[in-house]
Parts: sequence; C-alpha cells; structure tokens
Amino acid sequence: MKKRYWRCFVCNDIHFGIAPPELCPTCKVLQAYVEISAEEARKFLGSGQDVALAPEDFRGAIERFAAGNEFRVNPDREKVDLLLSGIFENEKSHGFKFCPCRLRTKNREEDLKLVCPCNFTVHETYRGVPNGECWCGLFVRRT
Amino acid sequence: MPNLIMFHGRECPHCKRMMPLVERLERETPVRFDRREVWHDEENADLMRSYLEIIAPKCGGQLRVPTFLNPGARDAVCGEMPYEDLKAWALKQG
Ligand code: SF4
Repeated sequence: MKKRYWRCFVCNDIHFGIAPPELCPTCKVLQAYVEISAEEARKFLGSGQDVALAPEDFRGAIERFAAGNEFRVNPDREKVDLLLSGIFENEKSHGFKFCPCRLRTKNREEDLKLVCPCNFTVHETYRGVPNGECWCGLFVRRT
Repeated sequence: MPNLIMFHGRECPHCKRMMPLVERLERETPVRFDRREVWHDEENADLMRSYLEIIAPKCGGQLRVPTFLNPGARDAVCGEMPYEDLKAWALKQG
C-alpha cells in the first residue's frame, strides 16, 4: 500500500502515511484529516519555520524517544559522541542521518531503513538478546 | 597471503575497537589488510558495494562495518570479535 498525504482541517498539521490519524496530535480534534496532493503537502511543509537540530538537540531527542521504551541511549558517553559525529557527518555529506556502522547500497527504499534511529528492535543483535544493542551500540536494552 | 580487505567507518565504534587488533595481527603474522574507509570515500564505498553478494549473506543481509573480506575466496566476517577469532579467520584464508 502506498503512503499518502493528509492535512488536518483545523490546524494544518501534515501527515504522511497509509491512513490518516484518528486523533490530531496537535489540536486533538477527532477525524480531522483530509487527503491532499504531495505537491500541496510539500508547500505546507516548506512554508513551516526552520527548525535546526544540532547534535546536542538530537541527543536530547533520542533520549526522550528512549525514555518511553525498553531501551536507553548507551551510557558510554564517548561511544555516543563518536556515533553522533558520524550521524551528522553523514547527514552533511549524504543527505540523511545514515547509520555510521553500515553502508548504504544506493537502493533508496533499503537505504531509508538506515536512517538513525533505525528499527533496530528487529535486528539479531537486539531481538531476544538479554543485553541487546542496536548494531552500533547507540541504544542498549535496559537491564 | 591472499589480498584481504578491511572495510571500516571513521565514526564506527566497532571499527575503532578492532583497529588495534588488526595492527597487532599484522605485527605478529604475515597477514595484511587493505584498509578502506567507506563513509568518507565514495570509491571505497563503491568497492564495498561491489561485494554485496558475498558480504550480505554473512553479515545480517546488509553491508556492515567493520567487514573483513577475502574477495578471492568469497569469504567475509563482520563486527567486533576477539583477537583470536580474527586471527583464526585471517590465517584460515591461507
Ligand atoms: S544501528 Fe543504532 S546507530 Fe545505527 S542507525 Fe540503528 S539506531 Fe542508529
């Protein structure tokens, strides 16, 4: 199934997905989304304010993301610093926050699975492993 | 010794941990690795991609670093491992 674009008729939030959200996460209105074209969606997104995300902001973002999950950001600060520098170097040179411990194949669909954080919960280094980690060790299972 | 390649990434912690072991292996045995950094050098990245069919089945279906490759024997091993394991793999290559 193809993902499509949806717009909240109250607050103009844009959603890209197979189905619209039932509840708008911003304005909390139910059944508020209507389908729009990709072109119009890009205009809405492009007219939004610029929000920069420096490495320190990204560190905060992944910490908040991990807070609600069964894993946490690796307490090894040196390792995380090295990974964050790689993630940001990759974004600068290759357009996305690609995983520093894998290489993109140039198959776009496959490569989008390498954007950090990736869905490492299905990787053999994490799934079913008591002290599992993402392949790079950026995220570790809480013990 | 056959021509062995180590694909690595500058900001990959596994690669950082393996580098001194590779250096030790080269000091103690005739093994030599051609080191190829893949995130800051597109030629090296393309070289690694050209071995996708050999590497992926041995490395979780992906191109991961570090990868140690013997292109001639179509054999590869990837990730962090103890010194003795790396040594055994490299010496097994002939
Ligand atoms: S393996 Fe870890 S560091 Fe790499 S993309 Fe996935 S979450 Fe990020």
